[in-house]
Parts: sequence; C-alpha cells; structure tokens
Amino acid sequence: MNRALRRISIAVLVMFVLLLVNVNYLQGFDTASLASKPGNSRAFYAAQNQYQRGSIVTSDGKVIAASRLSSGNDSIKYQRYYPSGPEYAPVTGYYTIFGATGIEAAKNSLLSGNDSSLDVRKIIDLITGKTTKGATVQVTVNSKAQDAAWNALKALGKPGAVVALNPKTGAVLAMASYPSFDPNVLAIHDGAKLNKIDNKLLKDPAQPLLNRALQGTYPPGSTFKIVTSSALLTQSPSTTINTNVASPTTLTLPQTQHILHNDQGEACGDGSGQAPLITAFAQSCDTTFAKIGIQVGANALNDMAEQFGMNNPDLTIPLPVAQSNYVIPASQALTAYTAIGQQNDTVTPLQEAMFAAAVANGGTLMKPDLVQQVTASDLSTVQGMSPSVLRHSISSSVSDSMKQMMLAVVQQPEGTAYAFRQDVTGVEIAGKTGTAETGAVSLNDAAFTSFAPFANPNIAVGVIIQGGGYGASAAAPIAVQVIKAYQRAVGNQ
Amino acid sequence: MSSITAPSPAVDPTGPLPPASRSRRRTELIMLVFAFALVAFALANVGFTLKGGLPAGAALYLAVYLAIVLLAHLAVRRFAPWADPLLLPLAALLNGLGIVMMDRLSAQANPARGVPAISASQANLQIAFSAIGIGCFVAVLVLIREPRVLQRYTYTLGAVGILLFALPALLPASISEVNGARIQIRFGSFTTIQPEEFAKLALAAAFAGYLVAKRDVLALAGRRVLGLDLPRARDLGPILLAWVASLLLLIFESDIGTSAVFMGLFVAMLYIATSRTSWLLIGFIMFVVGAFAASKLVGHVGERFDIWLHPFTLANVQGNSYQLVQGLYGMGSGGLLGKGLGGGQPYITPLVQSDLVFSAFGEEIGLAGVMAILLIYGLIVQRGLRAAISVKDPFSKLLAGGLSFMLALQVFVIVGGVTRLIPLTGITTPFLSQGGSSLVGSWILIALLVRVSDTARRPPPRPIQEEGLTQVVTLN
Repeated sequence: MNRALRRISIAVLVMFVLLLVNVNYLQGFDTASLASKPGNSRAFYAAQNQYQRGSIVTSDGKVIAASRLSSGNDSIKYQRYYPSGPEYAPVTGYYTIFGATGIEAAKNSLLSGNDSSLDVRKIIDLITGKTTKGATVQVTVNSKAQDAAWNALKALGKPGAVVALNPKTGAVLAMASYPSFDPNVLAIHDGAKLNKIDNKLLKDPAQPLLNRALQGTYPPGSTFKIVTSSALLTQSPSTTINTNVASPTTLTLPQTQHILHNDQGEACGDGSGQAPLITAFAQSCDTTFAKIGIQVGANALNDMAEQFGMNNPDLTIPLPVAQSNYVIPASQALTAYTAIGQQNDTVTPLQEAMFAAAVANGGTLMKPDLVQQVTASDLSTVQGMSPSVLRHSISSSVSDSMKQMMLAVVQQPEGTAYAFRQDVTGVEIAGKTGTAETGAVSLNDAAFTSFAPFANPNIAVGVIIQGGGYGASAAAPIAVQVIKAYQRAVGNQ
Repeated sequence: MSSITAPSPAVDPTGPLPPASRSRRRTELIMLVFAFALVAFALANVGFTLKGGLPAGAALYLAVYLAIVLLAHLAVRRFAPWADPLLLPLAALLNGLGIVMMDRLSAQANPARGVPAISASQANLQIAFSAIGIGCFVAVLVLIREPRVLQRYTYTLGAVGILLFALPALLPASISEVNGARIQIRFGSFTTIQPEEFAKLALAAAFAGYLVAKRDVLALAGRRVLGLDLPRARDLGPILLAWVASLLLLIFESDIGTSAVFMGLFVAMLYIATSRTSWLLIGFIMFVVGAFAASKLVGHVGERFDIWLHPFTLANVQGNSYQLVQGLYGMGSGGLLGKGLGGGQPYITPLVQSDLVFSAFGEEIGLAGVMAILLIYGLIVQRGLRAAISVKDPFSKLLAGGLSFMLALQVFVIVGGVTRLIPLTGITTPFLSQGGSSLVGSWILIALLVRVSDTARRPPPRPIQEEGLTQVVTLN
C-alpha cells in the first residue's frame, strides 16, 4: 500500500505544480492581455474613480462627451454623459463597464489621464495641489456639418451613413450613421442592467451599434466610374474628357450571351453609339464604362482602386476602418461589372468621401483623421494634427479632367444630379451618383460622392443609403445639405 | 504457541524517547500563534484600507478566533498528543484567512448594485461556523480514539453517505436548486446545508472499510488482458456503483465538480488498496465517458466546456462566462503582489464569496499570496499522506490516504477551474469559501487526519518490566 501511496503523493505533487504554474502564468505573464480583454470592468471602475475623464469636443467647441460627478447613491465617483448621444455616437463611441469604442477607445489612455505623456503634468498637479484630470480630445468634426448630416439621415429614415472630409487635410468634418444608439444608456454603472440593454441593442435587426460610416461596406455602384475613368485617363494620356468613346445602347458581354443595358434601357449620348467621355460620365452610361473596364483590364482597375485607398485593411482614423474591396474577377464579363461598381466591389461611406477628396485635392489623397488635437487639463497641447498623404491617387492633369467630369454630373443638363445645381447659392458642387443594384429598384443602395466648391474645394462628402433607390434621389440631397451647412459655417455663403 | 518474547533491543525503556517520537505540541502552539498573528494582521489591513482604522468588530472577531483555535490546540494536547504539529495550524490559518475575506467582502458594496457580495451577518456567521467546525473537530478527537473503530460502521456510513448525496436530488427543486445545480437543502430563507460535504467524508470512511475487507480479491483475482490485470466482473460491482452514483449526481444535481471529486476519491482508494494500475485506467476511462455523455445530455455541463474553451468571446463574456472571466480579470489586476486586502474590486465577480473566493485572494494578495495558499494546501495534503504512509493499520492508511487525496483533488478542481486550467465547476474551496457545511466538513476531515497522524506517531508501547518471561504492555 505504501508504494501506491507514494505514487499518489507524486500525482498530488503534479496537480499542485500544475496549479502553481498556471497561477504564475495568469498573474505573472498574462496580466496585460487580461486587462485588455472584453468586459474587463475593473479598469473602468478604477478609472471612473480615479480622475475626471477628459471631454471630447468638436472643432468648433461643442462638447459631445464629458464626465461629471455621479449623483445619488452611486458610489462610482464620475458619470460619463453624451449631450447629443445618437448624433455623435459614431464619433465618440461609448465608454462602458464592458469596454469602449470610437474615440473613447482610441484615445482611452489620454482621456482617462493614465497616458505616459501626461506623467510630467501629473507630477506638477501633485506639487501644485491641482486635481488631475484626463486630457481633452478635440475632434475635427464641425458641429454644423454634423447636424446637417444627422438631421438629413434621420428625416430620410433609412439605414445609411454620411462622411465629410476636408480634402486638403483629411480632417473628418462630419460622420453620421443611421440608425444610431444613445451612448448614455450604456454609460450606466450597473453591469446586470447594462448587459440587458446591450443584448437588446446587439439583437436589434436595425443594427444601431454598427457604425456604418466606417464599418458598413456597400456596393459603390456608378461612383466607382471615378476609378474606371481615372484608370483610362492614366493609361492613355491622349484621351481627354471630350474624346469620343464607344457608348452602345446595349452591350453583349464577352464570352457570354449576357446583354448589358443602360438604366431604363436608354441610349447613351445622342444614340450614335459614340459619346464624349464627359457626357457618358455625366449620364452614367453603364455600357460605356463596362467597355472601358474591359479595355483597361482588371489589373489596372485594381491598381487604381488601391490608389484611391481601397483594399487597405490597416486604415485607422484612429478608429478602425473596414476594408473597401476591389476583387480581381475571373473573366472579362465580370470585369465589366466591376468597372461599374457591381459584382464584388464594396466600399465604406468613408471610401466614398475619399474618392471625391482625392479628385478635389489635385489627385493627392490625404489620410483621413478624426482627431484635431489633444490638450491636457492645463490647456497645453499633448498631440496635434499633422496631415499626411495616404496615396498619390492620380496626376494633377487626370485630377483636372475628373473634376470637370464630376462637375458635369451636377451642372450639365444630361447629368444625373442636375437637379441640385442651384441648391447652394454661389457654390458649384461636383459629384457622382451611384445606384447599386441589389434587386428591385426600391431596394437599391444609393450612393453619392461629391466635393465643393468646385473652384477651391473645402469639403468632400460621401453618402450611402441602404435601400435608398437612386443615388440622385436619396443620397445626393443629403450631401447637398451637408455642403450647404458647412459653407455657411465657414462663411462661404 | 509461545507468548514469550524477548524485549526488543531497539527500545531502551530507560533512555530518552527517539527524536521522531517527540509530541511536538509546543511547535504546534508556536505555529498557531504565528497563524493568529497573520490573520490579525490581515484583518487590520482590511480595516485600514477600507475604513482608515481598525474595524469595530475586529477585537471580538480575533478574540473568538483565538479562543476556538486554542481550544482545538488543547483538545489535541489532551486527546491526540502525538498528532502531526502542522495540520492544525495550517487549517487554522486558512480558516482565519477565509474569515478575513468574508469580512472584507461584506464591508464593501458592489458600486453598481449598492450591496456587498455577502451581508455583514453572513460574514459573522462564518466565524460562528468556524466555532462549530472546531467543535466538531474536538468531538471527532474525543469520540474516535482509534481510527479503526470506524471500520465497524462500514455499511452504515456507506448508506448514510449515499442518502446524503441523493437527498437534494430527491427533494423538490424549490428547496434544493441553486445556480442550476441541486446541491443543497434550504431551511427557511437563510440557512442552507450542503449534505455532500458530509457525504464525501462518510463515503471515504465506508470505502476504506469495504476495500480493506475486499482488497485481496480485488487485487489478485482476475485475468490479464493486453498487459492489464482486469478484475473479475463481480468485483467491479463497487466501482460500477460509484460510477453510477457520480453519474446520477451529474444528471440530477448538475454537479460535475463533486462528481469528479467523488469518482477520483474512489478510484484513488481502490488503487491504494490494491496497487493495481488497471483500476486507475478503468476509473479514468469511465469518468471521461460519463463526463462526455453528460456534456452531451445535460446542457449545464456542455455549457461549462464551452465557457472553458471560449471564455473571451463577446457573447460569452456578457453571458455564460461572465463569472469566470471576471474572476480571471480580478487575478490579472492583482498581478504579482496584489492590490492589498481591501484594495481590489473582488465584488465585481459574481459568487466571489463562495466558488470564486480564490480569485478574490489572487486579486488582493497577488501571485505571492495565492502561491502561499496553494503551498499551505499542499502541506496539509503532504502531512496527511505522510501519516497514511507511516501508520500501520491498513484501514487508517486507506482513510488518511483517501481523505488527503480528496482534499488535494477538491483544491485542484476548484482552483484549476477558477484559473481556467480545467472547466470551472461550482464546488467550495476548503476553509476559504463562505458556507458552514464546507467549513465543518473540512474541520472533520482535518480531525480524522490528526487522529490518524496521532496513531501513526504514537511511540510503541513501553515494556513495564525489564526482564521476565511475559511482557505486559499498556494499551491506551
């Protein structure tokens, strides 16, 4: 029996060694990884009890997230609140027991006051007896443009998103997503109650938690013709906007029996089968650009799409951005479809804005950025904004041509967005509509990418409305309102 | 037949006792004082962290704790003077730390819910249960002078054990179900008893009695197949019974942790009794088959595996694995040295006062502290196994070996579960968890180990005659 007992002792020893090794791993090596796991509320509680978390403000000074002393018998010291909850939810994100999103997550250490760059100031606070506070994050969003974007989306009542960029700097001027949620309901301190609310939001078929502006991807439809045209103009420098291109009323796709029509089966240009490039673009002829797509080839389309910022999985603004996809298709027939923004092409509303921004900025695509500056509680700047180039998308001459063509979409009688030519007094808008077929016309995704003023662009707006129908009727009016509000805010009107 | 024996030359009746036979009671007392000092320091630490001064009830707490611990020491002096000197102080230290943790948990509310994990009166009950536990410890020492007397009640203890195990499953769910498992009996709205804590002890003693009687058949009869000595089918009876019982536990009481401990206890005791490896293999295979079947059949069990493998998925974090991951987050936030007693946020973790109490220690006294706690458990088990090895009587050997292994297994199952080494199953952490049944059961277990160690270390009877033909010995 003693031999068996000794063996049992060895088994017991092994069990205890396993336990000891495991606690050493947990508490010695795994602490950092555990601290960043979802639902780790200890950091949240500790932070909410330690310093007053910094505010998030817009570029024109509107407070969109702040912390105040908790009321009542709540023993957590500070309560986070969001004065315009749903409108700014895609920007601020939420800050909850179970984790954070948006700017709240991206700038968490600065907002909470625990970033190492604030250490010196904390020591000064300690000496001077001042209460340490988290840093304030100023975002690039303009509250007037944001209001216009949000109100227009809400009035339309269909799922979609708007992103406005400053083409010269990449600064995000507006970012709205509909339907949205109120981060205030998630900022509560009761984990069980929060769980219920969160589960309800997660299960909501309307997906209010999804930030469509950055995380939703949709077919770009005809807005992708910006890429196709750019590829053509780059590949054959002799082509100008007035060059006649083949524009048949119907097009039989290579190696198939499939016949491609223009919208409503209408003729392109004068119906002669030839039309100037600018006319085909303004009228958004599918047959023309399908043919151009086949002509330049899928690889050229892919290269140009990447020059406009697509196929990039690593873009952060500093919020993570879903990848906009161009997938090289297997056949010429499918290439034709990708050239008009169908097939497997998908873009985020941010990408829509980036199309126009690259064209508007002379062909140089600036890296989109949501953070203007971070200031410590003593008002000294901790981080500033330094605009950087993301891609040199197209040459300045191609950019000039593209600008002219986008202007024609709005300003020429045959243009698909001609109805909006005079909506903003004294400001010429240029853009491109897109209607991505998802089935019935009423279910099509509507897209619009635009910039203004034409002469000296200060805003590029991308809009995508799910199930919006025609780009010109659902998406363009929203972009126009954002442009109008922003021009008024900067004194252009 | 001659009864004439010469006095053993090894024992010199006039000389001093060999060193191994010193009673070591003074060592025990010194260690107890040390344990008391640690507990007093820990209690003061909680008070200073949370309230900035000694807590109001601290003096009373410590006085009661000191009184019961000294009582236990005196009982050992009187009734088990040769007992192992470490068992009592180690158990007393764990018990004291458990009391401190309950006090700490009752002193701070979960900020979100406004109530602490346990109420102040429940924390006070913990010290009352400690007193009852030590009372039972003393009673066992008084009533059971020789471990062997338990052998007489083999079948009685077996029947009592099975009845206690089955009781919650037989009773309506309204008075036995808690958190999806049916393991307790509720009296009124406040007091509950978990019969399994006592059932395990009764069955350990019953197994020991049964196996001592049957170990030769179990060890020798049978066939050799593929290098394994397979027992006869009829001798498989008891292990089948244990297997079925533990499966029933799983299915009707959804209590995978206890069923694992129970199965492990029985297999280990069979192995100790027979030294046949085949028993280990058979027992292990049967448990795995049973657990696998249960994981498919009983939703509660399958869910436990899912939580273990994928605790950090968003759906699990906010749902089924919330408790486990909050415990892990607590331990993670504790790091190497912990947040200090009273300095962490253990109240976030659900059931931190019972199943997850180990994570509360991890959070507040850190890796250093929980390693110390694990080593204390390891030492208790080691002292128990040592007593089993040195005691001569086979029943005592089996009993002490089985009880020590059961304690080790219980610590392994709950601490391993809390630290995600194995799937988390809700069983108590001996001495540390809130709850009277577990505390009293653990003290009875320690009393039995103390009793066996006393028997093992008791010096051989001294001859009272130096010369002569007949040797008269005193039997105490």
